[in-house]
Amino acid sequence: MKRRLLPVLALLLLLAVPASATELIPGDADGDGVLTSGEYASAVLAYLDTAYMGGAGDLDRDEIRDAAWVYARWDGKPREVVDSSGQTVTLYRPLRRVVTFSGESLETLRSLGFDMENVVAVDKYSHEKSTFFPECREKANVGSIWSPDMEKVLSVRPDAVFLYATISTAACDDIQQRLEASSPGIRVLRFDCFKPATYATEIRTIASIVDETERGEEFATFYSSTMDQIRDGTTGIPDNEKTRVYFEYWFDHTTVAASAGYNEKTELAGGMNPFAIGTAEYPVVDPEAILVTDPQVIIKLAGQGLAVGGYAGHDPEALDAIRSALVERPGWSRISAVKDGRVHVIHSDILGGAQHFIGTAYLAKWFYPDRFADLDPHAIHQRYLTEFQGIDFDLASEGTFVYP
Amino acid sequence: MIGLPANRLFCLLLLSLFIPAVVCGTPVTRTLSTAEPGAGEVFTVSLSVDGIALGGVVETLPTGYAFAGTDHPDDRVLVRGQQIGFAVMNETGITYSVTAPASGSGDITGTWEDFLGETDGEVAASHVAVDGIETAAENSGEKPAAQEAASPFAALAAVAAILIAGWGGRR
Repeated sequence: MKRRLLPVLALLLLLAVPASATELIPGDADGDGVLTSGEYASAVLAYLDTAYMGGAGDLDRDEIRDAAWVYARWDGKPREVVDSSGQTVTLYRPLRRVVTFSGESLETLRSLGFDMENVVAVDKYSHEKSTFFPECREKANVGSIWSPDMEKVLSVRPDAVFLYATISTAACDDIQQRLEASSPGIRVLRFDCFKPATYATEIRTIASIVDETERGEEFATFYSSTMDQIRDGTTGIPDNEKTRVYFEYWFDHTTVAASAGYNEKTELAGGMNPFAIGTAEYPVVDPEAILVTDPQVIIKLAGQGLAVGGYAGHDPEALDAIRSALVERPGWSRISAVKDGRVHVIHSDILGGAQHFIGTAYLAKWFYPDRFADLDPHAIHQRYLTEFQGIDFDLASEGTFVYP
Repeated sequence: MIGLPANRLFCLLLLSLFIPAVVCGTPVTRTLSTAEPGAGEVFTVSLSVDGIALGGVVETLPTGYAFAGTDHPDDRVLVRGQQIGFAVMNETGITYSVTAPASGSGDITGTWEDFLGETDGEVAASHVAVDGIETAAENSGEKPAAQEAASPFAALAAVAAILIAGWGGRR
């Protein structure tokens, strides 16, 4: 019986040990944490001897390629990064087998030109987004942070796993602890990639991890230029002159309060949310209260709860129907936003995640059409998809993100 | 001016398309100071390395031919039997010397790897024969696995193109 169990245990152990479990740079013969020129040259000769000359070394092709990477790109030293949870992570090799539990991190990796072949498994939501992440259709699905498939994670032998930093922290902490307990070599990297306050820094940090610093700078500059234009355009507007906004979440009469990310973007765009006060993230409000505040602009969120539009399909009629239902609510004809035709539907695909800068640009333009006459969110969106995401998606005929 | 039949011109055009694909594209090329050394003569082999920042080259000498030295740094060279391994670290050229035997002919073969580019391939073989005399002896060096697995497409394409040209000319 015991003999039968041994191979099973050995297999489990193999599965649990990631490709880069060792805490050394390949070829670092003296183990001092620095791959010197001499050590690298010796490692190359040892590899050539084994691969071509009949020698019997233990360095394989992957290892010598990793050694070359570290020698050339990291100056022969491990790379230390501080992620958005504040933990310092030391990398001894480039990332070649990545698992992402966060679609935002996955999207950011793609923006940075990371070879998506090196992503071996993704969360279930990214797996389902076959239009936006077509390359993930065939990758392993590791579930969600709330229901992770840990066996699947370990079976793909990742060298790094991306989790959220500051949201769903209990669930992400639990996944991190389980990974570190079973496979200490796995690097757990935690980033949000959806917060305006931290995204530019996160872009640069992740770019440093995957050694795409030039591309990272280019992308961070592109992102920041949009956000800075919005911030600059709304600077100095007195509170009592700010555009009064009612932001309705997916569900009827549910709005966003101060702690919600959508409120942050509304305020960044210069909007004043009369319902921002309160502890609940998404409070339900009295319909009469909406009439009393008389919003100048109304924003309705489409997306997960109202599953139309976005990258999933070109369906402006569906967004039009959502808008029509809003303006036909009892008493709404008296609201300034309705009278002035300033009721807009926006899809969460461009406001909630890594693309929040696109949605925020739309908000700014709707709140202050004169101040942002030169801001072109549609062009920013198309450039993002073509230049940074590298996907063939023509906004003129595909997807529906805003209406009107 | 001598006119060429249209079909022959077409075949020559085909050849011109195929031959560069066969000849070009490898980042390591080899030249010899002589392909017909005298008995016991030391001749020079020059490897030109283009576009490989960090990589490796393994050369295999024919039987009887012996490695005699190199200008490459000592700690980046490994000799085992008929094979010489070079660690490439930003060099654009490697030169080494070979002592010819009393007699014998064969091919110097080689293989290269680009560790950063994650590519590998063969260095085209160079034939050598002492005093230009061909012998039955064959290259003793065992072909590396990568060499054995190399695609025969390029050679086949060239042969096919030549055959097509010949056939086209006859018509």
